[in-house]
Amino acid sequence: MQVTVRFYSYFKDLTGCAETTETVPERSTIADLLGKLSARFPKLGAMQKSTLIAVGVEYQGRDYVLKTGEDVSLFPPVQGG
Amino acid sequence: MHRETMKRELTITGELIDESVLVSKRRMSGGMGATVYFTGVVRSDEEGKSIRAIEYEAFQRMAERQFELIFQEIEKRWPIESVRLVHRIGVVKVNEPSLWVEVIAPHRDEAFAACQFLIDEMKRVVPIWKKPLVGSIS
Repeated sequence: MQVTVRFYSYFKDLTGCAETTETVPERSTIADLLGKLSARFPKLGAMQKSTLIAVGVEYQGRDYVLKTGEDVSLFPPVQGG
Repeated sequence: MHRETMKRELTITGELIDESVLVSKRRMSGGMGATVYFTGVVRSDEEGKSIRAIEYEAFQRMAERQFELIFQEIEKRWPIESVRLVHRIGVVKVNEPSLWVEVIAPHRDEAFAACQFLIDEMKRVVPIWKKPLVGSIS
């Protein structure tokens, strides 16, 4: 199944893009997706511990099971204000 | 006693924050005795470096959702009549406001507490980021 992955803040610099798609097996988790993305974008992989993840507009944990067509966003710790 | 739903107004904008215009639009019912204002302003240094501005980026849809969750939590915890919040995105120069908050409540205790909570939670969960633009204006 395919999911859309969006990057925010300096994660765009680490990956060279603001958006991409990734194909993962059915019932893959966010952890599985991160593994694939780390292989594709090694500099992003180095930030795994501090990476925040959203599906749609809600935060999700790494054990979240993805559904086809979902929108996943990856970003560093937030800094509003 | 039935409590009215807390009014909330959120603006995420690239426009300059005009505090006097915002304050002029304050609306308070007769039972309200406290208004707390907070303005966050860009400082001239960030992590020890002199900067000329900060560039703010937001994941807008999610920022709106996360702010709404914070507003809902405020509504559960305190008797707040209204909250208005403006956050700038794009380039914000030193001394310009990046954040403006108004909280209206019956008494100062809950107004201050809700304002502090709102800003603390915003800094914890709302997807907005800043990029310092280094170098001073000569």
